[in-house]
Amino acid sequence: MSERQSSTDPMDRFRELVTEWERGFDALANRFMGTDEFSRAMNQFQNLQLSMQKAFAENMAKHLANVNVPSRDDVLRIGEAVHEMDMRLARMEQRLDELARATGVAPTRPRKGPPRTRKPPSQMPPGSA
Amino acid sequence: MSDKTESEAPGLVDTAVDRVRDIVDQAILRSVKGLEFVTSPAPEVGVTPKEILYERGTLRLYHYLPQTDEVYRVPVLLVMATTQKAFVFDLAPGQSMVEFLVKQGFDVYVVDWAPPTPEEKRLDLADYTQDFLPACVREVQLDSGETDVSIVGYCMGGVLSLIYAATHPEGPLKNLACITTPVDWSHMGLTRIWSDERHFDVDRLVDTLGIVPRDVVAASFDMLRPAQKTAGRIRVWEQIWNDEFVKSYRAFERWGNETLPLAGEYFRQTTKELMWANRLYNGDLMVGGRQANLANIRVPIMAIMAQHDHIVSYDASKPLLELVSSEDKEELVLKGGHVSLIAGPNAVRRMWPALARWLSERST
Repeated sequence: MSERQSSTDPMDRFRELVTEWERGFDALANRFMGTDEFSRAMNQFQNLQLSMQKAFAENMAKHLANVNVPSRDDVLRIGEAVHEMDMRLARMEQRLDELARATGVAPTRPRKGPPRTRKPPSQMPPGSA
Repeated sequence: MSDKTESEAPGLVDTAVDRVRDIVDQAILRSVKGLEFVTSPAPEVGVTPKEILYERGTLRLYHYLPQTDEVYRVPVLLVMATTQKAFVFDLAPGQSMVEFLVKQGFDVYVVDWAPPTPEEKRLDLADYTQDFLPACVREVQLDSGETDVSIVGYCMGGVLSLIYAATHPEGPLKNLACITTPVDWSHMGLTRIWSDERHFDVDRLVDTLGIVPRDVVAASFDMLRPAQKTAGRIRVWEQIWNDEFVKSYRAFERWGNETLPLAGEYFRQTTKELMWANRLYNGDLMVGGRQANLANIRVPIMAIMAQHDHIVSYDASKPLLELVSSEDKEELVLKGGHVSLIAGPNAVRRMWPALARWLSERST
């Protein structure tokens, strides 16, 4: 029934065409983009963009330094220092936790939620599922 | 013979009339719904009830609230890839792996990632696997009151889970499932060609940008299937009268649009150690001073792969079970692609039930 219905749907052919086009285009593009030449050209273009971006950032930093304004990198360095402190605190917390577990005084939280007694269907008595 | 022709003729006419009526209805709905499509906000995703359990920088740990009278003893921690948001695990009601697992009686936790800030550009594999994941496991242990934890990793989340498991053979990992997880990076296809070390200057990219921008990550995915977005738009226009199709399409589209930037050091290390030197496969990957040799893994393990995965090829993920030392191992290869495997129709019918069965038998 469904086959008959789908065969009478004129949009079926349209959908097939879209899928064929997508597959064909992707295959063609992948053949082109899967070449060594494409990889080299793409990365050369990216390197050019990065060089321009770096030159612009360095130029901007010089201007900001001239007018005694901190650059983005200066602000980021402060942020990184704070982030590093945060990471160190987390590592200390982890060490303390490991020490506590090793000495048998592991931290606990009050148990909540349903009991953890569920059994898989394969272990349930017949008819209890 | 003539009777038969006479009795079939009206049937054919009726069918043709019905089809014309359907086509006209769909054309009208297409106009109405088309306007709705462009004016309505992005669909709500990730609606299964949850609480945030732990948060640090780029890291988020969610706990999904149990919905059954009793749950399996061992909690399940899902680890999302670092390139995408974890709401692909919970796209929409009925299209949510998390919702399915919760309703099957699992206590589910999810590791999600926020875009790393410029201050986090130095995060590397050691931070993710020796700090973030152990911290999440500890939180799950504290919250659930259980020592054992099962981990399910998706894509790069699977790689992080494997590195964690290989560098923590003493536990507390109970079971490990890896979904479309690249292990042999020599089979990463176009991604490997584009990042060929003769042409790709990863140091320059990372040193200049710090954080690898979202656009670069998204473009590397889009270029693998350049016609996909256009074909998707055509399909949604044709099916725009179909609310369910449009809802699902928009949820996937939203997910695809929320690609995450990557911490520079993490990207540099992934490129050099995994993509170029293939160290995870070769067994000589060093992370945070520990050797991440997959042979260290002895826990029950399940490898789930997609036959037509255009991001992580079947050949890239296939060797996993040969490399681990686990005795209890299971492989599941399904039709479908990288994303449909966890949230598509085949996921609903086959992958989720198979994963739930495998976990349930090892979670008491």
